Amino acid sequence: MSDPTQRRGDDWWRHLILWVAIALAVFPPLYVITAAFNADQTLSGTSLLPRSFTLENFKGLFVQKEGGAEVFFVRWFRASVIIAVLNAFFTVFIGALSAYAFSRFRFRGRRMGMLFLLLIQMFPGLLNLVAIYLIVLRTGEVVPALGLNKLTALLLVYLSGAMSINLWLMKGFFDSIPSELDESARVDGATPAQIFWGVILPLAVPVLSVVGMFAFVGTLNEFMTASVLLETVDNFTLPLGLQAYISTNFEENWGSFAAGVLIAQIPAIIGFIFVQKYIIAGLTQGSVKG
Amino acid sequence: MAQVKFENVDKVFDNGVKAVSNMSLEVRDGEFLVLVGPSGCGKTTALRMVAGLEAISSGTVSIGDTVVNNLSSKDRDIAMVFQNYALYPHLSVADNIAFGLRLRKEPKEKINKQVEWAATMLDLVPYLNRRPKELSGGQRQRVAMGRAIVREPKVFLMDEPLSNLDAKLRVQMRAEIANLQKQLGTTTIYVTHDQVEAMTMGDRVAVMSMGVLQQVAEPQVLYDAPANIFVAGFIGTPPMNMFEATVEKDGDYLALTLAGARFPLAKDRDWRYPRLSQYAGRKIVVGIRAEDVHAAEAKPGWPSVVGRLGLMEALGSSQMGYLNIDATKVAVATQPKAPDDTTTNAKPAKGAPAPRPEDLHTEAASSFVTNLVAIFPPRLPLKLNTDVRITIDTANIHFFDADSGEALR
Repeated sequence: MSDPTQRRGDDWWRHLILWVAIALAVFPPLYVITAAFNADQTLSGTSLLPRSFTLENFKGLFVQKEGGAEVFFVRWFRASVIIAVLNAFFTVFIGALSAYAFSRFRFRGRRMGMLFLLLIQMFPGLLNLVAIYLIVLRTGEVVPALGLNKLTALLLVYLSGAMSINLWLMKGFFDSIPSELDESARVDGATPAQIFWGVILPLAVPVLSVVGMFAFVGTLNEFMTASVLLETVDNFTLPLGLQAYISTNFEENWGSFAAGVLIAQIPAIIGFIFVQKYIIAGLTQGSVKG
Repeated sequence: MAQVKFENVDKVFDNGVKAVSNMSLEVRDGEFLVLVGPSGCGKTTALRMVAGLEAISSGTVSIGDTVVNNLSSKDRDIAMVFQNYALYPHLSVADNIAFGLRLRKEPKEKINKQVEWAATMLDLVPYLNRRPKELSGGQRQRVAMGRAIVREPKVFLMDEPLSNLDAKLRVQMRAEIANLQKQLGTTTIYVTHDQVEAMTMGDRVAVMSMGVLQQVAEPQVLYDAPANIFVAGFIGTPPMNMFEATVEKDGDYLALTLAGARFPLAKDRDWRYPRLSQYAGRKIVVGIRAEDVHAAEAKPGWPSVVGRLGLMEALGSSQMGYLNIDATKVAVATQPKAPDDTTTNAKPAKGAPAPRPEDLHTEAASSFVTNLVAIFPPRLPLKLNTDVRITIDTANIHFFDADSGEALR
């Protein structure tokens, strides 16, 4: 029916689309890499093929120049990584506990609860910002540690943010674990807590990694909420801090910005390498049911 | 070791479906009892109530001398084998078997000893470090058995443990499980929809239909003396032939009229079916096993009827002949009615002595349909679409009330 040579001839446009897609994906990172090693700080002076090579942009992130502005890069980096790790951990932990309950227990309001969570998720996050700002402002008057310009407050806001979508994802995965496993463990003498820790969690590692990874990377890159809640440069997260390099305060310092962006990607890349084998499994299995 | 006792047990699900009704049954200490019935008959629900996985709506279930209605599964001292084995995929075979012992905080040496004992018994020693997914179906099945026996519980509960295996393995595992149970002497309740499994494995077999226990007896008794039309039709392959018929008094004797022929019945009919004489002149249901149908020339002098041969199956050791005789066949509904059934309200009637009359549906004899199965000797020359003269061994036929379906005993 199909002649192989003919088919190869017909395939050229697929390759074309592929190459265009690759070019589109590769171009921005490539541009950032050249900019990071380029001595010229202006954007217009940067080209894909660098005319000069320098490590000054990287050095500038860590070492304060004489008479220059104070350097906070390490501080931002640390703050971002800590928040991202904590957010990923608590998102997975709280999400898994709730998803287990929603998946396995039959209680009043279970269906409504799941629907309600979905509804909340449909509300655009940007619209929440006003409310979040006011809530954090007021909370800060009572509990200063959870007020504006505090990383703890930011962490709490992050935790609430993607909880419902993660819950749905995890619940879908838990539903696909046969209930006979729970029942068998119950007959063997396990309590619900022992079933959760000993049977369900080990089997849910794929979906837990995916949810944790998304929470981690999402937090590392989050800009909008952080920009509303954090006020002073010393308290910034990495995206906020890097933005400062190209805003007027630090003047338009594209070289430092690009160098910072490269370093900022390292934790995410490490994370992806760590959980990549689970990601495909987690995404597909979780989405089959749920 | 312990007996298990159901006393007037009901199970009504939240959606109003009555799965088990007024079930009373005693499983003796050390007995292998098989619960058998078509799917949806409530047998698995009954088992799950013993396991503590399903709440008991009313009545009591006791294990030993303890009423277990309100005990959680882990305090009932039972072990259960599931249809899909329910092995923990992330644990090795050894850890799967040891799971229950670990939860009970048994000392390590005891756990190791028990696991080794179970593994030896089930030929699993070479596989102890493998994961379930690296095992074949039969091996997985044995791991599930190992997990059950290692705790030495009072009662084994098995929910269709062989239905995921291929036919050959099923026969082999059937024998292995039955042997294992004999060796251990542990009270066992075994659920299956396969009547061959029930007949071959059970010390006694309990037949259920639509939530109601129909008969509990040794396998041969079920076969020889079914309590009602349902049991008669369910136990035995091929299923028992059942027809509408009449009996009449003929002096000291009774005679059966079927398909226009008159079969005199021996006097001892009064002994096996004492109520039969009260039904003289009334419509009854007569049940005839396929092996009690013979070619007429083999039994000279016996009354015979003519049937048209619609289908032949040569099995080597015998031939199955599907014939159409001039009689009204009685079929037994083995499934609860589907919701889209015209009579609606699919719920089994409460406390009904099943099967109810409306479940017995009759088919008019037609030349396109066969209504009688017979087992003929091999190499008997029979031609399709010809008339075959057959006769019936009246010593083994069964009689039932046409309305209630009960045996006339």
